[in-house]
Amino acid sequence: MKRYVYINDDNLAKDIYCDNRISNRKYTILNFLPKNLWEQFSRFMNQYFLLIACLQLWSLITPVNPASTWGPLILIFAVSSSKEAWDDYNRYLLDKKANEKEIWIVRQGIRKLIQAQDICIGNIVWLRENDEVPCDLLLLGTADPQGFCYVETAALDGETDLKTRSIPSACMGIDVDLLHKIKGVIECPSPNKDIRRFDANMRLFPPFLDNDIFPLTIKNTLLQSCYLRNTEWACGVAVYTGNQTKLGMCRGIAEPKLTAVDAMIDKLTGAVFVFQIVVVIVLGIAGNVFKDKQGRKLWYVQYPKEGPWYELLVIPLRFELLCSIMIPISIKVSLDLAKSLYAKFIDWDVEMVDPETGIRSNAANQAISEDLGQVEYILTDKTGTLTENKMIFKRCCISGRFYGNESGDALTDAQLLNAASTGSADVILFLKVMAICNTVIPVRSKSGTISYKALSQDEEALVCASARLRMVLENKNGNILDINFNASPMQYEVLDTLEFTSDRKRMSVVVRECQSGELFILSKGADETILPLTYSGQQVRTFAEAVEQYAQMGLRTLCLAWRKLEEDEYQEWTSMFKEANSTLVDRERRVAEVCQRLERDFEILGVAAIEDRLQEGVPETIEILRKAGINFWMLTGDKMSTAIQIALSCNFVSPEPKGQILIIDGKTEDEVCRSLDRVLLTTRITESESKQDVAFVVDGWALEIALKHYRKPFTELAILSRTAICCRVTPSQKAQLVELLKLCDYRTLAIGDGGNDVRMIQQADIGVGISGREGLQAARAADYSIGKFRFLKRLILVHGRYSYNRTAFLSQYSFYKSFLICFIQIFFSFISGVSGTSLFNTVSLMAYNVFYTSVPVLFSVLDKDLSERTVMQHPQILFDCQSGRLLNPSTFAGWFGRSLFHAIVVFVITIHSYAFEKSVMEEVAMVAVSGCIWLQAFVVALETNSFTIFQHLAIWGNLVGFYAINWIVSSIPTSGMYTIMFRLCEQPSYWITMILIVATGMCPVLALKYLRYTYRPSRINLLQQSERLGGPILSSGIIEPKSRSSLDKDIPTDSVYEPLLSESPSATRRSAGPTQRLDSVQSQSPPHSTHTRKDN
Amino acid sequence: MSFSDGASKSSSKSSTKPTYSRFTQQELPACKPILTPALVMTTFIMIGITFIPIGLSHLSASENVVELVDQYDEVCIPADSPDPDVVYSKRIGYIQDESTDKTCIRTLIVPKKMKQPIFVYYQLDQFYQNHRRYVKSQNDEQYRDPSASAKTTNCEPEAQLSEGQPIVPCGLIAWSLFNDTYTLSRNDVALPINKKGIAWESDRTHKFGSNVYAKNFQNRSLIGGGKLIDNIPLNQQEDLLVWMRTAALPNFRKLYGRIETDLEVNEIIKVVIQNNYNTYSFNGKKKLVISTTTWIGGKNDFLGMVYIIVGGVCLLIALVFITVYLIKPRPLGDPSYLSWNKNPASVQ
Repeated sequence: MKRYVYINDDNLAKDIYCDNRISNRKYTILNFLPKNLWEQFSRFMNQYFLLIACLQLWSLITPVNPASTWGPLILIFAVSSSKEAWDDYNRYLLDKKANEKEIWIVRQGIRKLIQAQDICIGNIVWLRENDEVPCDLLLLGTADPQGFCYVETAALDGETDLKTRSIPSACMGIDVDLLHKIKGVIECPSPNKDIRRFDANMRLFPPFLDNDIFPLTIKNTLLQSCYLRNTEWACGVAVYTGNQTKLGMCRGIAEPKLTAVDAMIDKLTGAVFVFQIVVVIVLGIAGNVFKDKQGRKLWYVQYPKEGPWYELLVIPLRFELLCSIMIPISIKVSLDLAKSLYAKFIDWDVEMVDPETGIRSNAANQAISEDLGQVEYILTDKTGTLTENKMIFKRCCISGRFYGNESGDALTDAQLLNAASTGSADVILFLKVMAICNTVIPVRSKSGTISYKALSQDEEALVCASARLRMVLENKNGNILDINFNASPMQYEVLDTLEFTSDRKRMSVVVRECQSGELFILSKGADETILPLTYSGQQVRTFAEAVEQYAQMGLRTLCLAWRKLEEDEYQEWTSMFKEANSTLVDRERRVAEVCQRLERDFEILGVAAIEDRLQEGVPETIEILRKAGINFWMLTGDKMSTAIQIALSCNFVSPEPKGQILIIDGKTEDEVCRSLDRVLLTTRITESESKQDVAFVVDGWALEIALKHYRKPFTELAILSRTAICCRVTPSQKAQLVELLKLCDYRTLAIGDGGNDVRMIQQADIGVGISGREGLQAARAADYSIGKFRFLKRLILVHGRYSYNRTAFLSQYSFYKSFLICFIQIFFSFISGVSGTSLFNTVSLMAYNVFYTSVPVLFSVLDKDLSERTVMQHPQILFDCQSGRLLNPSTFAGWFGRSLFHAIVVFVITIHSYAFEKSVMEEVAMVAVSGCIWLQAFVVALETNSFTIFQHLAIWGNLVGFYAINWIVSSIPTSGMYTIMFRLCEQPSYWITMILIVATGMCPVLALKYLRYTYRPSRINLLQQSERLGGPILSSGIIEPKSRSSLDKDIPTDSVYEPLLSESPSATRRSAGPTQRLDSVQSQSPPHSTHTRKDN
Repeated sequence: MSFSDGASKSSSKSSTKPTYSRFTQQELPACKPILTPALVMTTFIMIGITFIPIGLSHLSASENVVELVDQYDEVCIPADSPDPDVVYSKRIGYIQDESTDKTCIRTLIVPKKMKQPIFVYYQLDQFYQNHRRYVKSQNDEQYRDPSASAKTTNCEPEAQLSEGQPIVPCGLIAWSLFNDTYTLSRNDVALPINKKGIAWESDRTHKFGSNVYAKNFQNRSLIGGGKLIDNIPLNQQEDLLVWMRTAALPNFRKLYGRIETDLEVNEIIKVVIQNNYNTYSFNGKKKLVISTTTWIGGKNDFLGMVYIIVGGVCLLIALVFITVYLIKPRPLGDPSYLSWNKNPASVQ
């Protein structure tokens, strides 16, 4: 689909395309109530409660006042509706602000001020410095005579550095006044969300006729929500407006994530519902039978001889209402409250604040903390996630001489400094390439110091290093570069930039030295793409060896090369280049072909090695999490050798002989298939021995084939192998891998820092973003954002584990207390002629669910079964959470049995101790309720592992509160309970009954718990015991869980394990690669590009 | 992808350091009890040695209650047929015949000395006062407020006469008021039963109004139970008040009155029963109960027995635990039991 935009045509576009009104709202005032209610009622639980509430309105069948269901129901609905309304209102205010912003546009050739929402396609929009771009514009003119302007794209992709944008060459030199009258047509794609591409063409109409179609790229656009910086003014024609802009298309409300715990609770709720229906049917039949056999003889109830048609339904429906409390209405509210507190604990945690930046952890998604405790797979990005993403130039090899090998830092190597100052020709050329062959923008501050704005950390490292070696990139003025070497200025004109792509793995610039007029092509890139391009005769062996040596140290390598160009050759080439650049179809491939023509016969200058250090605590974190039974996959765009090095140094794979790395490679289907089969076979064998630690390595190309044609064996391998390293993968492949693991029913956590990780983060069950140097894009898309990778262990082991344990208790307890009171009602129905009488009154029933039983258990969110230190020392304990040991049908059955037992205890004791002359309905009911309250207080107390002051207050204060409330109700003369509670409390037998209920209810539970605790203890129990008794585990002297020294002994972070690699078939093919990255914007990669653009 | 402004707000906010407090860091001081053998055994032994005495004292209190129970429903209407159906229909015919004299005389022997106050109860078995149709059929407002006599909600089918006049007190409970009467005599001297103050104080003062009078009561063709006196306010007709405190169980006793003299051992008490109330339709039983009370109320062996049983079981459990502990001691928190310490190969 194509779109034709007619510049400055006021009449045409209005009706075809939408205006620039932005709307992020979900509701309008009119549809809010119906739509919101509809959404809420699409949940099964809510439908159920509504049905119950409606049935209760029928006074013939309702056992209690309808208020007991309507009250909580309306409260719950009101809370969630008002939250929705408030959010939507805030969205509306933001939209309104954006829509009503005043913007200068051109109408009928005159500049006018209008509201942003009235901008139409084809309008020319004028912006001043620091203005926000109101819609997607195609640049037509700027204040800069070269046609450049600078934009900040932070809101779009999170990158804070400035980017240059230029006007299309067709508009170059058009006078400012003429821009008002410019006419033309732009042919561009239909609205899409690819913020990296804009493959369009433009033709201007007379008097600007050029008879030519001009190619347009994303470089010629100003996208919505960017800011114009360092440019006095700019103007452009609106091509996409409103919600059809690139930003608008990208926007989308992420699917709400459901945790495994929630899914389990839903499943259990369904089972309870079925059970309830069975109970209702049984009791309903029993009730009707009793009525016919016995009930009609009870003259005092005056059953009519002929009932209405629905008579048979009345008793079952009454029981349905009586049993409706089996599904606790409070569970959702309790869980939501608990979940938001879990999230708050994450936000508040001072141990997860990045000490360098002060960035604290943030739980953007409040609902999925429990899932953190159930993670089985962690898929991690490498650069910026495991490493610091702080590139530092460390070593180099220039024409066969190694610099920096002794000191470990080339910048302090006296030989290199000497060579630079004396002006050794090779070294100067090398430095020139470092300083020129890039897209870095130097920014001079007021104090005169120069800082560099670069998209790629590698380029910045190179430019900074060259500056320290006296080759200073001082200024970039359009195409002109000012270089200062040893205080002598030089000027270069950049004629063409042959951009980096992940296929080419190199970038080049064509420059003209301004003084001599000589033409050069300077190039840098991965060894495998540069070394084959040398002129015949050059010895590349030393360079290949240097690359090898550096890669083994885990350094990133770049080869630098150059060639002199002849004027004719360049002129011929440049026209081809222009043509390739203006193709609409398959532009990238065509451009690459043309570039290839110029990038040949290079002279290799040397190899630069750049270090990207591991973040602090990464190996320890990975070791602990692997001990916790979590499988790690590393998904990186980087090359295989570097990825393997990093994997070794951060404990991904144990070193030989325990660890084994298997490589899947191949370029064709057959090769991949064979390789995959071989690896699968080895893995199967080693896994069955279970002594070995097997990791497989796969690159993007092989991965694509494997996923497409050999999905089954690959899935099997994925399940068998605990570790995988996937290199050269694209963002969409990362997401596919997440999907693959999710399909195998594994809980996945994806962690990354850059735009290329966004899709994987959104795809995974839990997305964690690192608020790193690559902007906030990943952190924004993620459910959790943390400052450093090492916080992950705390996030999972502490917060995730506690959240899971607490929710497991909270939810099962909610069912327990509902069952308890419901069973008593069912038992009572057997002694009330199966007629569906409620033993309890409305006040008791409502307060029981909403107050008495909800408050104490809510404080279980403060419960800690094990101390944080113990968990860190024994990360294996996480296994109990991963396998869902604390919340599953069998634990639920335990709680069910307990509630049945307690209901029997309460009911039997109550009706026997309050028999005969004491059997007044109100009194018996209150005795039973008191029994339940006492029992539940002791149940909570028995299940609480750590009592803080809040728990004591909640558990015992709740008992006091129960009596206080009932005394108050008992002192109201008009209430049905008048004087009841006072009468009871005066009777010794009431208190004797309470003690008996507690003792009878709790003794068996305590005895069973003790037996299991002592003779069949769970792992948690064992650790609790040793933790609190100071057992051998703690006394062994390991205080810090991450005993650094012991780890360092085992796995020196920077050493190389040669035998390990040489065993694998392609270990010799270890190479350094291109390390340039032009845009770290999320790659919406087209099908033919299998490699990520972001390359680290 | 979401580019919401909220995210940027939160990111700027997130750079401020969170305030430290023991609550936010989940580091509140906490006591973490664990189930050590000593703790558990002590608990069980303590429960055992406190429960058995409580149970014994409860039992002895229950023993001290002197209780005379006489089931009179069958005896008062003798039926000599072996066929239960015939008996059934005969008894119903008898009880529903208003013209017959239903007087029935019973003699009771006092087994032990009974100290006053002695309570006289009637006990009904298989009478579902807690039946849903029944228990709901009342209207407190009408009973309390003289101006609300027309309010008969929930009272169906005993709400109003066919002409629409409201029945006061309305509802099935009032309508089925128990109407057997007992006259006691000892050695041919009448033994007075005090029927004042048998209802709850709160019922007399608050639940039933002092100026609410019965109206149209038992005026329909279908007569249920007892009648009320039209010119005495409801709150002084205490039999009604007692009856309307519905029982939660199908077998229940309600206070009939008090005897305010002591009864000696082996004294013979003659009871003249007006056997009016129909329990024969539903095979219910009627009993006359004369009983003293102690601090636990009337006779109730259940609590005492269960206390002794629970106490005994707790002691037994403690004994078993101690034995097992001595035979097979098991140190708490031994890390060698941890599965990953047992078999390090299986867990990486």
